[in-house]
Amino acid sequence: MRHDPRTETSPSEHEIASLTEDMADAHHDTYPAMREAVDGWADTEGAAARRALSRRGFIAVTGAMVAGGVALAAAPASAAPRLPLGHLARRGAPAGVPLDVVVAGLAASLENLAVHTYGAALAAAKAGKLGAVPPAVAAFATTAMGQHADHAAAWNSVLRHVGYAPITVANPAFARSVDADFAKVTDVVGVAKLALTLESVAAATYLEAVTALSSESAVAIAASIQPVELQHVAILRFVLGEYPVPDAFAPLSGAAPVSSADALPFAKG
Amino acid sequence: MEYDERALGELIERSEDVHADAMRAGREQLADLVELGLESRSRDGAGAGPAASPTTDSTRRPSGAAAGATAAAGIAAGVLLLLESAAAAGTPGDVAILQTAAALENLAVATYGVALTLPFIGGATANGVVKAFVTTTRRQHAEHADAFNAAVEALHGRRQTAPDPVLARVVARATPTLRSATKVVELAIELETVASETYVRDAAQLRDRHAKALTASVMGVEAQHVAVLLAVRALLAGGAASDIALPPPLATLPAAAGRVGFPNAFYSTTAARPATEGAVR
Repeated sequence: MRHDPRTETSPSEHEIASLTEDMADAHHDTYPAMREAVDGWADTEGAAARRALSRRGFIAVTGAMVAGGVALAAAPASAAPRLPLGHLARRGAPAGVPLDVVVAGLAASLENLAVHTYGAALAAAKAGKLGAVPPAVAAFATTAMGQHADHAAAWNSVLRHVGYAPITVANPAFARSVDADFAKVTDVVGVAKLALTLESVAAATYLEAVTALSSESAVAIAASIQPVELQHVAILRFVLGEYPVPDAFAPLSGAAPVSSADALPFAKG
Repeated sequence: MEYDERALGELIERSEDVHADAMRAGREQLADLVELGLESRSRDGAGAGPAASPTTDSTRRPSGAAAGATAAAGIAAGVLLLLESAAAAGTPGDVAILQTAAALENLAVATYGVALTLPFIGGATANGVVKAFVTTTRRQHAEHADAFNAAVEALHGRRQTAPDPVLARVVARATPTLRSATKVVELAIELETVASETYVRDAAQLRDRHAKALTASVMGVEAQHVAVLLAVRALLAGGAASDIALPPPLATLPAAAGRVGFPNAFYSTTAARPATEGAVR
């Protein structure tokens, strides 16, 4: 990747890098808690996942959120018919797969898509296709990609624990349009805008998941990831010259519908 | 200090317009959905739950069985509408958790208010972006406090108007030492980190679906505050205060500024405050 003249060795960079190292240590401290959450879900999934909302219930919930971009949707499936389902009323998630498992797979597939997209951006930058790449942007993309890979690994660990094969593909419902948009990108601003969209979708999806998942451990995992995606969003906005935290309450708009998990290869394994 | 004050003002104004739109949409959608929820409960035979007593329920721990709720932008106003659906099945533990959240928000509002009285944060010589951030963030915390208190009342609890008692002492001790922007930023990081980590923990523990949705919609915003503050602190520490601008000088921004704002792949809860610390006594 081509960098601008400012280098990693400037005095200010050293100062900042030392802060980053401290935080990297803190990052490793968060892993045990994540493992506990994963194990917790695995322990209870057999019962809890079967108690999960029916797919219809989740679709009703999701439909309400997406339609209004607003709160609530408390209603059980019995209240669903009056909710404005919109496009979510289409076919639900794969038959026979517990909803919490579907959400885990959906999350993994979105994380895979983010990893794929950041990877493609870094490759394009290295090939000189994006013009001059500011060091801060390169650092952002590299770090965010690594964190998305960690998120994907966490969800796939969950899937393995509950007897399903990991989801290693990028979400097919989104991948086509993302790839098409990426093909039009010619500079880092374009990459940042695309990344902002992806991160916003992921954050909104996790916000939805926190209130839709039935397993407390699964909720804990989603809740530990959603703020990180929103941190990516804030820094991307800053990079793009936008006010970084415009909303007092995280938006649900743009959340991935459960139907976007339709084509995922859920398999016992 | 380098920033385009007019452009920044426009950005903030635009974001406030979006926010106001979301609030309006929230009221309308929630009115419909609350009605649906009430109808649903009526069909299911679920009556109003017992009034919560915030002083007697603090030891109860939610089981995590709650599911099926969602929240979004405009929820602050929406929660007010939920007062009409007081039959929501909250637990006393939820009330204490929400009161503690309100207490954390009250403290944040007060602390940012103090910061704005300092010449290097709120004065004419302050960095305009930092000043705008502190002003906007203070307002967002006030909205969070209102929303949490509305949720408390929806569950028949008493509003929490006081700051978190333990952290208030920390702030009181720190206030005389706030002699630079860096010191203020570090204190703000501490408060925002505590709040965000508390809410991440709470999101998994709350039983009431509305309370869970509200808390989840706030936790990430506090995390965003943390991200911005971490970046600002790094730039100040690196002698790059002039890079704190909108838009930033992207080409020359230090590499670490692109990653310092989100140090962990998974958000920690180690700094979370006890769930009943800010409960109304």
